[in-house]
Amino acid sequence: MASFSTFSSWRRLSLAAAATVLFSGCELLEFSPNDFRGPEDLTNLTQKNLDKLAAKPLPPGDTLRFVFTGDSQRFYNEVEALVASVNQQPGVSLMVVAGDISDFGLAREMRWVAERLNRLTIPYLTVIGNHDQVGNGRASYEQIYGPLNYSFVYGDTKFIFVDTNSREYNFNGRIPDVPWLQGQMQDLQGARRQVVMSHVPPQDGDFDQNLTPAYTRTLAEAPKLAFELNGHRHSYSIGEPFEDGVTYINSASFERNEYLIVTLWNDANDEPQFRLKKVSF
Amino acid sequence: MRHLLFPLLGLSLLAGPALAQTAPDTPDAVAPRPWFRPRHLILQTAGGMGMVAGGVGYSFWRDRTEADVLVGYVPKKHAGSALSIATLKLLYTPYSVPLGEKLTLRPLTFGPYVSYTHGTINDEERGQYTKGYYWFSTDTRVGVVLGGRLSYNRPTSAAGRSHRVSAYYELGTNDLYVVSYFSNSNFRSLSPVDILTLGLGIKAEF
Repeated sequence: MASFSTFSSWRRLSLAAAATVLFSGCELLEFSPNDFRGPEDLTNLTQKNLDKLAAKPLPPGDTLRFVFTGDSQRFYNEVEALVASVNQQPGVSLMVVAGDISDFGLAREMRWVAERLNRLTIPYLTVIGNHDQVGNGRASYEQIYGPLNYSFVYGDTKFIFVDTNSREYNFNGRIPDVPWLQGQMQDLQGARRQVVMSHVPPQDGDFDQNLTPAYTRTLAEAPKLAFELNGHRHSYSIGEPFEDGVTYINSASFERNEYLIVTLWNDANDEPQFRLKKVSF
Repeated sequence: MRHLLFPLLGLSLLAGPALAQTAPDTPDAVAPRPWFRPRHLILQTAGGMGMVAGGVGYSFWRDRTEADVLVGYVPKKHAGSALSIATLKLLYTPYSVPLGEKLTLRPLTFGPYVSYTHGTINDEERGQYTKGYYWFSTDTRVGVVLGGRLSYNRPTSAAGRSHRVSAYYELGTNDLYVVSYFSNSNFRSLSPVDILTLGLGIKAEF
């Protein structure tokens, strides 16, 4: 009797193994390229990275260092090279990616990038780009990464990530969500400085021109804004395009084989200061 | 799954030359059917053509070539919006292998497909994008499939029509996945398996 039950439990085990093989094949059994089903460990990545970040808190008053990059779309070799390089950097707390994770807005692309970025030793956080909204990309992004507008406080810094891909909504007048941004800018939540990151910069034709004045005014009137970070243009730039005291920094894309290390602190007057270092990989 | 694919593919390819002497089954020649009457009904899952897809198919040239038309459906919970997918698939079967009286194996079937998806969330509205803003189509996919089929030869009808029922698998990929694969100059980052899809289905002749 005992041997029979051992046999049947072995059989059950092998059946379970066969089922596992079959269900891991479920990724192959794709209903549509827009189908976003996938393994649980590649969903809800924004929250998972925020949890990782919260597990390594930065003491108040400490200088913050983070990696800034953007536009990983279809540059898979470069993602691997970037990860190897960033993992060598001492003293960086997180990496931020200014959108366009994918090129065609497909879940598989987002997972190809996520699988590689998950090899980072530091948490990384993303904002949605226009290519991530092609087709059903917006839903795939929400499934794999998370919310389109969100904010978090790390150390003394409040990060605010906002969807500015107005063209992908055919300029419906609600993207970017300026009232949401205003609320986020006014509430420091105990932070001493603010960073805004979005994909499309407000001086770009893909940004809703009707919302540009309200958007840039919101940034200019923010109490402790260090700068705004953007992607989309695939090359590094820094400036004050609206001559209103707000600095806009654009990231190079992954294919340019460079990223920025941003160092952020507050001076004696408690005003945010920063320094940029370009790293080639 | 990766471990299964290549033996499966290899088997299909190797079985070919050894067993190629058999001609495909002769189509029903007895009762001429109207040209528009399909040869078989199809029920398929996945392969990028829907969670469930149904359709009809025609066969030509002594059963070696088929044209299948499928309409598939993907519910909202799997893709963010409910999608309908219309697919035209062409298949070529170079040889088939009888396995006894009742069974026939077609180790290799392959061909191109084109599909159109209706119901995507961000469905290019008029004037939304400047010309060439995105070089690719969001809704139209072209791709290729390669697979095999096992048929159960049911008795032919009084009119002499074959009533085979077949189960098939199809590995495939599409234009956007191929572009993703080939834009990696060293071909190391993505593996060919990364860009594969699998479809499973049944064909019933009537």
